[in-house]
Amino acid sequence: MRGRTALLVLPGLAVLLIGFLIPSVAMLFAPPGVSPVEVFDRLGQMLTDPYDQAIVMRTLGLGLIVTVVCIGLGYPIAYLLSRSTSRWAGVLLALAIFPLLLSSVVRTFGWLVVLGSQGAVPQLLLSLGLTDSAPQLLYTPLAIVLGLTQIFLPLAVVASYSALAQVDAGLDEAARGLGANRIRTFWSVVVPLSGPGVVVAATLVFAGAVTAYTTPYLLGGSRQRMLSTQLYTYSSTTIDWAAASATALIMTVLVFAVSGLSGLAARRGATS
Amino acid sequence: MRTRHPIAASLAVLGYIVMLVPILFVVVTAFTAGSTLRFPPEGFSLRWFEAALTYTPFTSSLVSSLILAVISAVLALALGVPVALAIHRGRLPGKALVEGLFLSPLIVPELVVGLALYQQLMVGFGLDNFQTLLFGHTVLMFPYAVRVTGASLALIDPAVEDAARGLGASAGRTFFSITLPLLRPGLFSAALLSFITSFNNVPLSLLLQSRDFRTLPVVMLDYVQQNYDPIVAAISVLILAATVLVAVIAERTVGFARVFGGINR
Repeated sequence: MRGRTALLVLPGLAVLLIGFLIPSVAMLFAPPGVSPVEVFDRLGQMLTDPYDQAIVMRTLGLGLIVTVVCIGLGYPIAYLLSRSTSRWAGVLLALAIFPLLLSSVVRTFGWLVVLGSQGAVPQLLLSLGLTDSAPQLLYTPLAIVLGLTQIFLPLAVVASYSALAQVDAGLDEAARGLGANRIRTFWSVVVPLSGPGVVVAATLVFAGAVTAYTTPYLLGGSRQRMLSTQLYTYSSTTIDWAAASATALIMTVLVFAVSGLSGLAARRGATS
Repeated sequence: MRTRHPIAASLAVLGYIVMLVPILFVVVTAFTAGSTLRFPPEGFSLRWFEAALTYTPFTSSLVSSLILAVISAVLALALGVPVALAIHRGRLPGKALVEGLFLSPLIVPELVVGLALYQQLMVGFGLDNFQTLLFGHTVLMFPYAVRVTGASLALIDPAVEDAARGLGASAGRTFFSITLPLLRPGLFSAALLSFITSFNNVPLSLLLQSRDFRTLPVVMLDYVQQNYDPIVAAISVLILAATVLVAVIAERTVGFARVFGGINR
């Protein structure tokens, strides 16, 4: 019986090893013709070189801003939807999930139409007489934050919603019945109980935002380089394996560290 | 709802604007008669839809995307369902570790996976880019194949399977005539999620492209970078329409929120 169970797993495991685990480990530490020492040398250079440092800091900074904005907008959406009895709540929830199914290229392209020099926002500012010439909005940090928020907000809504749906609405009523006002109920009952779920949501958004490629590429271009666009340049344009591996290492460590920390935080939140 | 929570409601409205308004602008721009992405659009026409549907790089990469998505979804399910079966029904040592391994492609950045496969399988091992893409996309779908079908497997009472075995059916017959039919909603959800994940993927498909085999998102990305005309808006609207169709099919069969409520996790 045990032998047969192993047979069920083996084909999938083989594909997982060849198509994912072995190549990933090999790439991070020993790219072809490059020794692990060189990868770590390049990593050391990147963490001290001002140009590379700026890219790491921009990636981290924009990732943090996007995370705060996504939770700041996504949690209220999830809260209102989870506490609403209106039949429109289902439709609104579906509208928030739907963008997840739509290609990130299509969604990001929308911002080119909105923010491009002939796009809606610059033309509106011009016709209102607020500026003399169409303002440059593309290839700015603002464009990247807007683009990444659009991409990851649905994720924040879905994750917050499933956390909030588990908080019994009866507890809200109990707190109100005991004399707490709406704001106090929200901050001392709803927020603490849904906290671990929000940590999960924030982790998903941050990990996605610091590794996303399409949005920084189209809305940041070469003026606002991030780790992901830099990784692509190293691997496809300059073919610098050591630098590509070092960049990939930074990205991977960043994502693993944040996931690990949030796992710890969620567990502590759940037990206290 | 609006009057009782004014601050939350205004933040929510802002959130919906950021999520949906850019998509609306794409739709409006696709119907322009002009040849730029200027807003407001200059007149109404369908010329950009005609242009998109007759532009060979779009049509041939669309076919490539569909082929890749269908084959790798089938592979992921064929390899992943047995794993889910082993985890939920078999006596497997280290179940948690096995499940964790099959979910791990969700954690590692896709760009990192793409670079690894390009470097190790294409450059290092000499696989062609289609074979490498199949590996990559299949692995990327394992989490859905294993977890989504696993969740629906956990809902099936093993006593039904035991009864079939007790009445003399073989393990294979029990699987195909009892478990598989009961598993259909889970399989359907996993297949849909897998297909969409593959069809929309950029990082893997970008790093593993070749002149002969490129997927639609990669071709669109290239086109947008070099040209500034509404043809991409038109193809985007066609993709949007197809995506709405997929959502409606999901809603009519298993339920939209049930299929997509946990996407990307």
